[in-house]
Amino acid sequence: MKALLHNLYNKLASLTFGLWLLCGVMLFLAAGSFLQGEGSSINEVALLDWLREVPLRESWWLWISIGIIALLALNTLLCSIESLRTKWLKGSFLVRIAPQLLHLGFLFIMLAHLQSAYGGFKQVMQVEKGSAITFPDGSNVVFTDFAVTYSKMGMPTAYSATLNYRATGAFQSPAMLTAVISPNHPFFYQGHGIYIKDIAPPPMKAALVEVHKEPGAAMALAGGIIFTIANLILLARNREKSI
Amino acid sequence: MLPSVILCFPMKWLLCVSIGLYLFGGFRRSLFFAGVAAELVYLGFRGIELGRLPLIGPHDTLAFFSTSCALMTIPFLVSASLRDSNRFRIGASLLAAVTGLMALPFPAFNMPMPPILNTLWFELHVAMAFFAYALFGIGAILGILFLLAEEKKFLEMQYMAALVGFSFFSASMTSGGIWGYFAWGTYWLWTPKEFWTSILWLYYGTYLHLRLKGSRWEKTIAWGGIVGFGVTMFTYLGVSLLMKSSHSF
Repeated sequence: MKALLHNLYNKLASLTFGLWLLCGVMLFLAAGSFLQGEGSSINEVALLDWLREVPLRESWWLWISIGIIALLALNTLLCSIESLRTKWLKGSFLVRIAPQLLHLGFLFIMLAHLQSAYGGFKQVMQVEKGSAITFPDGSNVVFTDFAVTYSKMGMPTAYSATLNYRATGAFQSPAMLTAVISPNHPFFYQGHGIYIKDIAPPPMKAALVEVHKEPGAAMALAGGIIFTIANLILLARNREKSI
Repeated sequence: MLPSVILCFPMKWLLCVSIGLYLFGGFRRSLFFAGVAAELVYLGFRGIELGRLPLIGPHDTLAFFSTSCALMTIPFLVSASLRDSNRFRIGASLLAAVTGLMALPFPAFNMPMPPILNTLWFELHVAMAFFAYALFGIGAILGILFLLAEEKKFLEMQYMAALVGFSFFSASMTSGGIWGYFAWGTYWLWTPKEFWTSILWLYYGTYLHLRLKGSRWEKTIAWGGIVGFGVTMFTYLGVSLLMKSSHSF
């Protein structure tokens, strides 16, 4: 039994197994890229809701990918533990730690996807002057104005919406505050982002707005930063070696 | 504002001149550098005309890709291992020339930047992706040279190209995620481009790990670098031209 467990551990912590898993993820993601039609609702709801709602014949590639990614996460973790265990006293600290930081960044990114898949939220709505978005605590964000400028060719080059809201929190004043949203400049309120996606031409005062909740964003950013830093360490070490 | 005659007329000529220099003078380092200079001036003119980095539409992206290939070649051309390799110079020049040639048939769009793309995160995201693509291309050339000559230096340099390319690509994905979060409300969308971006990222992650398997795998690694460029080109052109995505041209 002990030998069996030992073998299983070695298998799960092996580089070859990790490489096969990586190939598997690539294969099923490639299948998914061809199978996802234009009308797919995969980006309209949280991923776990999508998986629950659509029939298996549409989502099989993602179920398999998730299964392989879970194994890959385990393999990454075990490889890192093994690497640290066997090389702890060998070489410089940076050489030992950089690949493990890369692995950590990768694991953070996977966790971020899991968080977003579970708690993500998206709602699209058309708003006009005076429209309000009501949040779970009963507070409102009210749209008060819209602005748009056009190029000579008639393309909108900039547009925005002004909204009013009350600050929340025990120590904040209940005074009405104002915020302006425009493309790439959303407004964050109670863990939700309010994004302006399109605007109606004047004299209409209306816009297409999306409300998003992306609980994995901070972890994904942390993963991306850790990964990038580890990459830079690895590059610097390689450069030193080649010099 | 520069007169439009200066801006429009000589520009494509500059691109043609640089392609000519890559094609017929690439075996000489000085002529290759002249080609890079001509292409940079061309991109500079496009940038002045547009008031931003020329990164939208097939013409501008292919011209940017070609310039990236040439620019990323420079550190390899001056490196001790490849300084005297005519074959590498010719291969890298061909890569820059072919990608430049591919840009020529497409019209150069002079549309204003859509507001959603008007952010530094977008420009960083795209520019770094092209630097990565260029390095993956250089890696493929080095893989071919290794298979032809079986000289270890080509494989070493292929690894360096892939590692630096992977770093650029990872940074591009991070900046793309930040842009996506502020622009679309999410750092990730399940579209064909994102699928293939992650496939490419995982592919080069696999490639970099393959090196740990030892010297018996050298030929596989060389082939890995060559096939990787195929995956790169599909991610860039195949997905943009054949599949519907938020990243389509």
